[in-house]
Amino acid sequence: MKLAYYPGCVAQESGRELDLATRWVARELAIELVEFPRFSCCGSGFVDEANEVLNVAINARNLAIAEAAGLDVMTVCSTCQGMLSLAKLRMSDPTVRAKVDGALRPLGISYRGTSNVTHLLRVLVEQVGLDAIRAKVRRPLSGLKVGAFYGCHLLRPADELKWESPEEPHAFEDLLAALGAEPVMYRGRVLCCGFPIQFVKPETAGRIAGRQILDAKAHGADAMATPCPLCHISLDAYQKPAERLVGQKLEMPVFHLPQLVALAFGARPEELGLSRHLVPTEPALAKVGAAAR
Amino acid sequence: MAAAGPITVPLEVYRFQPGVDAAPSFRRYTVEAEPHTPLLSVLLRVRAETDPTLSLRYSCRSAICGSCAMRINAKSRLACETPVGPEVARHGRIVVEPMANQPVVRDLVVDQGPFWQRYQQIEPHLKVDPKHPMPEGRPNPMTPAQVERFHDTPRCIACAACYSACPAVAADPAFPGPMALAKLYRYVVDPRDAATQDRLVRIQTEGLWLCLRCHLCTEACPKDVRPSERIRDLKELAIAAQGATEPGSRHAVGFKSNLRERGLLTESKLVRQTFGLGGMLGQLPHGLAIWRHKPEVARRPRPIEGKEEIDRIYEALDTEHEP
Repeated sequence: MKLAYYPGCVAQESGRELDLATRWVARELAIELVEFPRFSCCGSGFVDEANEVLNVAINARNLAIAEAAGLDVMTVCSTCQGMLSLAKLRMSDPTVRAKVDGALRPLGISYRGTSNVTHLLRVLVEQVGLDAIRAKVRRPLSGLKVGAFYGCHLLRPADELKWESPEEPHAFEDLLAALGAEPVMYRGRVLCCGFPIQFVKPETAGRIAGRQILDAKAHGADAMATPCPLCHISLDAYQKPAERLVGQKLEMPVFHLPQLVALAFGARPEELGLSRHLVPTEPALAKVGAAAR
Repeated sequence: MAAAGPITVPLEVYRFQPGVDAAPSFRRYTVEAEPHTPLLSVLLRVRAETDPTLSLRYSCRSAICGSCAMRINAKSRLACETPVGPEVARHGRIVVEPMANQPVVRDLVVDQGPFWQRYQQIEPHLKVDPKHPMPEGRPNPMTPAQVERFHDTPRCIACAACYSACPAVAADPAFPGPMALAKLYRYVVDPRDAATQDRLVRIQTEGLWLCLRCHLCTEACPKDVRPSERIRDLKELAIAAQGATEPGSRHAVGFKSNLRERGLLTESKLVRQTFGLGGMLGQLPHGLAIWRHKPEVARRPRPIEGKEEIDRIYEALDTEHEP
C-alpha cells in the first residue's frame, strides 16, 4: 500500500511523537508513506474563517501535489482531514472553482479532484483490515480500558464526509478491541475537545476538555486515545489547566491513536515519544506490561 | 428496516419535577408500535394509556412548529419525525431526555427563556434605513441572487435542537448559540438591512468567536439550516467589516499570515499574534511546562518547498483582506 503522507504542522513540530508512532506502525504494516516537502499547512479551520476561498486554494494545491503522483492522501490529524475534504467539496462549486483555478493555473498547478482524502484510522480499519491488525498484535492491550475520543472533524458534517454515523461511530472502538484493549463507551467521545477556542477563551476551552475527560473517567477509562493532535493538545497538554477549571483531579493519560497500535504491535515505549506527553502515561503502560523497568 | 408488523419499544423516559422530586430519574415503559410510528405518538400513547403525569411539549406533529425537540438516544431532535423502529434497531431501547442547556420545568419540558433571550439579543428584525424606506407596493425588492445568499436560514423553526446540542452554549453563557447566529447572518446579508456594519461590530464582542465549529448544530438541525457554516460566513464578514479586533479574529487573521511566512504554522508566533505580548504573560507558566516537554513550540519550522507558490496564491486571492 502506498499513500501520500500528509503529517500536518503539529505532527512535524510540537506533536512529533505522533509522527514517530505513525512511521513505526506504517513500517510494521508495510504501508509506504510517500512524503512531499511541498505540502503546506491546511489552515486548521482558522484560515477558513478569515478567507474561505484562499483556504480552498491552499488545500487544492496540496491535493494537486498528491494527484500528480497518483496517490490518495493520508492524514494523521482529523482537522487536516476535514480541511482537505472540505476543499474537495467546495471545489465542486463552479464559482469557487473558477477563482481557485484562476490562482493555481499561472503556477502550472492543475487540480482535478482525483485523489481521495483519508485518515490513518480509516486506513487501518478499511484498507489494512482488523484481521491483519489482530495478526500483528504481540502485546495485547488486555485489561486496558480506553476511551476513544473521535472529536469533530472525522465525523461531521456527516453528509459531507460520508463515513461513520456521527452519533454512534464504532471504527475506533473496533480497532481498540482488535488491539486487545477494552473500549469504553461514553457520550463525550463524539463531542468537541475545545481546541478551536483554546486561544480565544482558554477558560471555556479548558472546561470543555475537562468535561470530556471526566466523562471518560466516570465510565471507567484508564486512558484516552485520539486520532487528532489538536485534540491531544487540549486533552493532554492543557489537562492541568482543565483540572483547575473543572475542580477535579483528572490524571488521564492520552495516547495518539498510532501509539496504542504500536504498543500492541510490540514497540518499546521509548520509541514512541511518550515522555513528550504532559500527563504521564506510565500507569496505563503498567497495565499492559509495557512500563519501563 | 425491520419486517412489517409491530415491534416492542422499550422506553426510558426522564422524569423530574423540580421542587417535588429529590433528583431526576428514568421511568421505563414498554409499548408495542409499528416501526414507522413517530416517537411523539408513542409518548402520547404512554401518557393517554399508562401514565397521565408525563409532561411533554408538542403541537403540530408535522415538524413545522418546533415544539417537540428533545434528546432521543442522546441526539437533540424532533420527536414527531423520529420513527421508533431505527432507534430500537440501533440502541435496543429509546432513552428520552429533555433538551440540554435549558432548565427543566418538568419531565421533558424545558424553560426556553435563555434561548429566546439570546435570539432577541441579535435584534431579529429588518432595520431599514429611514432615508430609503421600502418602495410602495414593492415589499420585497431583492434579486433572486440576493435571496439565494440566505435561503437556508428562513427554514429555521426555532426548535432549539441546535442550542441543546451546542457544547459552547453548555460551557459559556456568553455564546449566543447557533440559531441566534444563523439568524443574525440572515439579517447581515439581507440587502434591505441598514445595520449590517453595526451588527457585525457588535457580534465580534458578543460571542461570535466562541463557536467551536464542531458542527454538532448542523448535525442536530432538522431543517438543514447548517448553522455552523453560517457562523463561519459571519466570521469572515466580521473580519472584512472591522478587521481583527478580538482574540478570535486576531487568531484567524494571525493564522492566515503565519501560514504565509513558511507555508507551515509557526506555533510560537501564533500565541503572540493572538494574545499580544501582554496576554502572552498569562500563558507563560503553563507555556513553559509545555515547552519543557515539547521544545519545538519555540522553534521556527523550515519553509516548505515551493513556498513562493503560497505567496502567489495569497497575492491572487487575499488582496481585499490586506490592510
